[in-house]
Amino acid sequence: MAKTILIVDDSASMRQVVGIALKGAGYEVIEACDGKDALSKMTGAKIHLIVSDINMPVMDGITFVKEVKQLDSYKFTPIIMLTTEMEDEKKRAAKEAGAKAWVTKPFQPPILLAAIAKLVLP
Amino acid sequence: MSDMNPALETFSQEVDELLTAMEEALLGLEATPDDSESINSIFRAMHTIKGSSGLFGFDDVVAFTHEAETVLDKVRSGERAIDAELVSVLLACKDHTAQIIQHAFFNEELPLPDELQQQGQALIVQLTGSSRAVGGMSTTQQEKIDHFEVDVNTTDSSDNWVISLAFETNALRNGMDPLSFIRYLQTLGKIVEVVITMPPLIRIENMDPESCYLNFKIVFNSSADKKTIEDVFEFAEDDCDITILPPNSRQEHYLQLLANLPEDQLKRLGEMLIEIGALTEKEVANILDEQLDENNADAKPLGEMLLEKNILQQPVIEQALKKQETVKQKINKESNYIRVDAAKLGYLINLVGELVISGAAMRLMVDKHGLSDVDDVASTMSHLVEDIRDTALQLRMVQIGETFTRFQRVVHDVSKELGKQIQLQITGGESELDKTVVEKINDPLTHLVRNSLDHGIETPAERLRAGKPEKGTIQLNAYHDSGRIVIQISDDGKGLDADKIVAKAIAKGLIKPDQALSRSEIYNLIFEPGLSTKEEASNLSGRGVGMDVVRRNIEALRGSVSVDSELGEGTVVTIHLPLTLAIIDGFMVEAQQERYIIPLSMVEECVEMSSDEWQIDEVQHYVNLRGQVLPYLRLGDFFHNHKKHSKTQRESLVVVRFGEAKAGFVVDELHGENQTVIKPLGKLFENLNGIGGATVLGSGDVALILDVQGLIQHAKKQIVR
Amino acid sequence: MTAKADKNDGILSLSIMDDMTIYTAESLKETLLGYCHPGTKELQLDLSAVAEMDSAGLQLLLLLKAEAQKRTFTLRLSGHSEAVLEVFELLKLGTYFGDPIVFPANWKKS
Repeated sequence: MAKTILIVDDSASMRQVVGIALKGAGYEVIEACDGKDALSKMTGAKIHLIVSDINMPVMDGITFVKEVKQLDSYKFTPIIMLTTEMEDEKKRAAKEAGAKAWVTKPFQPPILLAAIAKLVLP
Repeated sequence: MSDMNPALETFSQEVDELLTAMEEALLGLEATPDDSESINSIFRAMHTIKGSSGLFGFDDVVAFTHEAETVLDKVRSGERAIDAELVSVLLACKDHTAQIIQHAFFNEELPLPDELQQQGQALIVQLTGSSRAVGGMSTTQQEKIDHFEVDVNTTDSSDNWVISLAFETNALRNGMDPLSFIRYLQTLGKIVEVVITMPPLIRIENMDPESCYLNFKIVFNSSADKKTIEDVFEFAEDDCDITILPPNSRQEHYLQLLANLPEDQLKRLGEMLIEIGALTEKEVANILDEQLDENNADAKPLGEMLLEKNILQQPVIEQALKKQETVKQKINKESNYIRVDAAKLGYLINLVGELVISGAAMRLMVDKHGLSDVDDVASTMSHLVEDIRDTALQLRMVQIGETFTRFQRVVHDVSKELGKQIQLQITGGESELDKTVVEKINDPLTHLVRNSLDHGIETPAERLRAGKPEKGTIQLNAYHDSGRIVIQISDDGKGLDADKIVAKAIAKGLIKPDQALSRSEIYNLIFEPGLSTKEEASNLSGRGVGMDVVRRNIEALRGSVSVDSELGEGTVVTIHLPLTLAIIDGFMVEAQQERYIIPLSMVEECVEMSSDEWQIDEVQHYVNLRGQVLPYLRLGDFFHNHKKHSKTQRESLVVVRFGEAKAGFVVDELHGENQTVIKPLGKLFENLNGIGGATVLGSGDVALILDVQGLIQHAKKQIVR
Repeated sequence: MTAKADKNDGILSLSIMDDMTIYTAESLKETLLGYCHPGTKELQLDLSAVAEMDSAGLQLLLLLKAEAQKRTFTLRLSGHSEAVLEVFELLKLGTYFGDPIVFPANWKKS
C-alpha cells in the first residue's frame, strides 16, 4: 500500500512540483495550502509524513506543527519542514515544536525525495 | 521536463497574483504604515517567488528575491522602519522581479541582459545600502545533494558492514521509525542479517508501548562509502547511537590509502582517518566530545576508544598510528637539518683550504727554525686542521640514494614504453659524495641506465627463450673504495657481443685487424667515439650522444669508467669517482721556476725528454714516442712565451691523457704527488688559457693547476699549424 | 478491534483487526497482556488484517514472544498480512518466530 504524504504550502507551484516528484516516486499525495486547510484535510485520512512550509497565511507552519503534535492520530507522524536558510531561528522553533527534519529552500526535488525516503519509503 | 510545464504555468499565474498583492499592500502601506498583514503579504510574495524559482532553476530570480526577502524580514521583525522611500524602492523591486521572471520564462537558457542586471544591482544597493554580488546564491544547496556510487565489482558476498543502532526511548514518539531507516538502507545495498536486542528486564507488562526498546545490529552489504551510510540515519541522530564498522575489504582499501597519504605534515589520528574515509567527521566529533567530557576522568586516546566502540578495525588504527609515527620521525629528522646557502659553505671550505695551507707553512717554519718546544703545539694544531678540513668537506657530502631513486620512475616508464618487464634494484644508496659530483653524475648515469633498458634487457619473450626469468633486473650499486666512490650499473640482459664490437671497431679503423686485444680492452672499445653495437639508434639512447660522451663527462669529474660483460648474462659498467672536487690528488711539476699541478689521474707516464731516444720535431712540436705521434707543449714556453727558454737543463716529458687524446708536457723538474686543495681563480683569471685553478703551497707559493683538456687541444692545434 | 474465541483447553486465538503502529500500540498492549495469564497454553494470533506495522508494533510482537517463552506457552502467528511480511522479510524474522509463513502469490520482494 502506497504511503501518503501531505504537502502544506501556500505556493501552488511549489505544491505542484513537489506533488509531481512525490507521485513519480510512488507516494500518494494530499495537498493543503496552509495549516488550517491541512488540519481539516488530515481528519479521517491516513498520512505517513508531512512536508510543510513555515511562512503561510492563515496558519503558519510552526503553529501547524504544534497542532499536529496535539492530535492523537498524528502526534508521532514525522514532519519535514521546508525553510529558507535565513530562518535559523525558525528552524529551531520548528524543531522544538516537533518537526524532525528540514530541507532548505530553494531546493531541488531529489534532495527532498531523499530526505522523505529516509523517513518513509513509498 | 514536459511534466513540469503545467507547474510552470501555475507558477506564472501565482507570480502575477503575488506581485499584484504585493503592489496593493505596498500602496496600502502609504495609508497605514504599520499594517503587519500588508507587510507579511509583501514578504510572502518575495519569499514564495524565491522558493518556487529555485525549483525551476531560475537562479537570477532566487538571488534577487533573496535580497528583497532579507530586507523585508527585517521590516517584519521591526529591525527596519518602512518609509515612503523604501516603499518606492520595493515597488521598483516588484517591477524588476516581474521583468526577470519574464526573462526566465521565455529565455531560460540566456543569461540576464546587462541592463536588467544593472537595474537589479542598483535596487539591491538601494535596498541594503551595499552592493552584493548577485548570482552565487544557490551554491550552498548544491553541496547538500546526496551522492553515492554503487560499484558492482567491489561487492563481495562475505564482506559486510556492521551497523549498530541503539535507539533512545523517545525515538518513536519523535516520529523516528527505526524500520524506515532500515528500509532506506536497503536502497544502498543488501541487508544480510539483522540481530534485534532489547533490554533484558523489559516485559510486556512493564513496557511503555510508545517507547522504543529496540537495538539493531545489521550486517549490511554495500559498496557505498561510510559517509553515505551514515547519512541514512541523519534524521535519527538525536534519537539513536550509531556505529558503523567497515567491512574487511574496506580495511585493505583504507590501509592502501593510508600508505599513500603524503608524509609532509603531522596530522592527528582523527584527521588522517577522516581523510581516507575510514571515519566520518561526525564520528570523530562525537568521540572527541566524549573525551573532553569532564565526567570522563580516565579518558582514553582516540585509537583505543575507536576500538572499544567497534567503529574501526584494529589493523587500520594500528596502521594509522604507525603512519603518524613515521611522519613524526621524518619531520623530526628533517628538523635536525639546517639549510645552508651553498655559497656560504663554499666560503667556509675555501677558508679551510687557506687554513690547511697556512698550517703547512707554519709546519715548515717550525722545522726550519728548529723550534722544538713549538713542535708539539704545531703538530696538535695540524691534526686539528686536518680534522676541520675533513669535517668541512663532509658538509658537502650527500647520499647518492636520492639520485638512484629517481631512476625508479625512468625504469618504470621506459620499460612500459618498450613492452619489457624490468625492475630496478638499488643498493648502497647511503654512500656519500660531494654534492657537485652528484649533480654532474646524473646525466652519464641516465645514459647508462637507458642503455641497459634499451639495449641490455631483452623482451619478455626473448628472456623466456633464453631460460631467464621474464622480468629483467637493473641494479644500481654504490660503495666507497680507497677514498673514491664506485658506482655500478649492472643488468642481467643479453650482454655485449665481443665479435661484433671487434668487427665494428675494425670497420671504423679504431683497431687493426690483426691487433690482439684482451677481453676487457675489447669491451672498453664501446667508449670510443662512433661505436655503437645497435644499428639503428633508438628513441632513448644512442641518439648522437654515445658512450664516448659518457666517458668524457666522467673523466671531466676526474673519474674513470669501465665495462665488463658476459654474452647472454649481462653487463656491468663501473664508474670510479673522487668523493669531492675540492681536493685532488695532484702531480707537481716545475718549469721555469714555476710550479704546476697536473691531476694525477690524467698522468699516464713520465719519461726523460731526450732527443737521442725519441724523435722530436721541434718545429711542429711533436715527439715520436715508441712509434706513437704525440704532440707536446713546453709548459715554460707556453706560459712565459716572452722569455727565451734555455735548454741547459735536463727536461722531462709528462704524458697526459684526457679521454682518448694524449699529449706531452715538457717540464724542468718532477716534484711528485701531493694532495691539493683547489682554490678557484679570481674573476680576472677565469678565462686564462690552460689553467683550471690554483693552490697555495705550504711554502706560501702559488702553484697553478693545469687544465689538461684545454692544453691537449692547444698542443694538437700546434701540429696542424 | 479484536475478535476472540476462548477455548476451554487453554488455547486462545485472536485476530488483530487493526494496524500495529505506535498509534494503536497502547490498546494493543492491553489486549495482548490480557491473554497472557497462567491458564494460557497457546496463543494464536491471526495477522491477516494488519494493514500497517511499524517499530512499535514489531516491538510488541517481540515482547509477546519473549513473554510466551517465559510463561511457557506457545505463540503461533498465522495469516501474515503483506505489511507484516514486509517487516519480517526486512529484518529476517521469519525463523525467530518459527511460524510457517504463507507468501501470497503476488508477493514480490521490494
